[in-house]
Amino acid sequence: MKTLIFGYGNADREDDGVSWHILHEVMKRNRLEVSDELDIETYDEARQVQYVFQLQLTPEIADDLKDYDRVCFIDAHTGAVPEEVHVEQVSKGFQKSPFTHHLTPSSLLSIAETLHQKIPETILVSVRGYEFGFSQSLSPKTASLVGKAADIIMQWLEQEDSPAAGRIS
Amino acid sequence: MVAQKITIEPVTRIEGHAKVTIRMKDDGQVDHAYFHVNEFRGFEKFCEGRMVFEMPLITPRICGICPVSHHLASAKAGDEVLGAPPPRPASLLRELMHMGQIVQSHGMHFFELAGPDLLLGFDADPAIRNVVGLLQANPELTVKAVNLRKWGQEIIRILGGRRVHPNFAIPGGVNKALTQTERDTILSGYDEALATTMAALEIMYGWAEANAEDINKFAVLKSGYFGLVKPGNTLELYDGQVRLTDSDGKELEKFDPRNYLDYIAEHVESWSYLKFPYYKKMGYPQGVYRVGPLGRCNTSDKMATPLADAELKKFKQLNGGKPVENTLHYHTARLVETVYAIENVKVLLNDPDILSNDVLNTCRDPKPYGVGVVEAPRGTLIHHYWMNENQQIEKVNLIVSSGHNNWVMSEAVDSVAKSYIKGPDVTEGMLNRVEAAIRAHDPCLSCSTHAVGQMPIQLEIRDSKDQLVKTITRD
Repeated sequence: MKTLIFGYGNADREDDGVSWHILHEVMKRNRLEVSDELDIETYDEARQVQYVFQLQLTPEIADDLKDYDRVCFIDAHTGAVPEEVHVEQVSKGFQKSPFTHHLTPSSLLSIAETLHQKIPETILVSVRGYEFGFSQSLSPKTASLVGKAADIIMQWLEQEDSPAAGRIS
Repeated sequence: MVAQKITIEPVTRIEGHAKVTIRMKDDGQVDHAYFHVNEFRGFEKFCEGRMVFEMPLITPRICGICPVSHHLASAKAGDEVLGAPPPRPASLLRELMHMGQIVQSHGMHFFELAGPDLLLGFDADPAIRNVVGLLQANPELTVKAVNLRKWGQEIIRILGGRRVHPNFAIPGGVNKALTQTERDTILSGYDEALATTMAALEIMYGWAEANAEDINKFAVLKSGYFGLVKPGNTLELYDGQVRLTDSDGKELEKFDPRNYLDYIAEHVESWSYLKFPYYKKMGYPQGVYRVGPLGRCNTSDKMATPLADAELKKFKQLNGGKPVENTLHYHTARLVETVYAIENVKVLLNDPDILSNDVLNTCRDPKPYGVGVVEAPRGTLIHHYWMNENQQIEKVNLIVSSGHNNWVMSEAVDSVAKSYIKGPDVTEGMLNRVEAAIRAHDPCLSCSTHAVGQMPIQLEIRDSKDQLVKTITRD
């Protein structure tokens, strides 16, 4: 089973880059080498897990999704959902931004299905950000959530052979 | 009827958001519409104290849409301030990366952002008025559009190591040469990229003809026009002089972009964080101008490549040789430029110096300040650095492309709101047209953060006493 763990946000904008820190934590727990490089593209061949960090979601990612059985997106939220660490199954559904080049995981699944008639099991782990200044460090509040988010992703990763593989129980 | 204020505003109000406020008169007509930008521009302060050589790696992170433009403008400012003009092969390679950026950005904008409005209709169901709807309506074309953007991205990746934040241009040149294999890889995608763009132009002209009423009613504005040119007023995207023309196309100024402060000032309005650049000699707002594709196609008299030049001539006939003022023709101009960028890729790849290893000038002759200017997809981008004796940044001034267009976006929103909104019952199609007025300019507004860049729309209808009457939220 091929897995993609895709974090996105701006790692120079404090909590907007929380997914970069979460990816690092998950990679360390899986004994993978990490560095301070802000762009991540690491493949764990033993577990068939691809780790990616990018600034934004872009349309061509939809084409890449065909290569995976399951996907975990990670991002920051600003309080639009009540939980500090929010997890949801992602369904396809295009959401357009009126002003900027902005894509959501749902939109990517929508494009992916139209292109390839199939989509992977997909979840979104969204972590509360509190400060969005110009820094590569997290605010203390958001930093305290990294471990919990990593726990959730590790549990999800371990659900490899279950019929509902990829679903968070 | 009581005068009303309609506000289109994202739910989250942290920095980086744009808001549209529409104020209604008692008779249901629009009194005025405003386009506000709440973007906090702290990036300049963030850069203070940094080493100059770091800036081409730091500044791309201002922007998630056009990081390459910042990367190149920053390297050019670094060339100036460190007194290290790059060797010719390095300039060619930087320009090649820039063409990749233009192709991917313009291609994405036309097909994925603006295209659905044009090809599926402003009043189409929002559920299908997006790239997925376009894919379903015309799968072959949309797949080609995805490939067009991929080709542009691939040029960036080949040169800079990655698609989004390349590590390539440095003060004095670039950090790697191009190999024969890489050159041939890029060239292999040329024919399809050109064919897709020419097909898109045909679609755009066909749409414009079929929707002449909309084209001629939708935010047709008078303004100046501003962009880089080469000798002969040939469009230039990487390195040239600034040409500023008036609303009749008459040249007002042509100047070295290093001296921009002699010609441009910035006006401040109380209701927007983003400033309003204008031509000093004419004052504000008489001296406002447009940048980006429409600005550039109006300030240029020709293109350096044959197909693009033919398309520019055709474009100029849209208004009998005078500047094209219709906001929706930003989309046409964008495609004309894309043709040029694609043809220019081939010109650059066929240059005898493109495979040279002479790509970096390591000599230094530091100066107290330097300016780097490129034509980003959205318009003229200016990086201005002041440096101390330790080669650290003391001060930064950035004028981003969409900043120049601030006034015209606000005017476009006002014009469209007045043309299409009649009375308190505002339909989804009307709102979409107001958004389309902004979208035509392809603004670069706070894509710097993902979390605060999510922009669901909230519409507030308020009475003349600012009491909330109704709220409509758009996803």
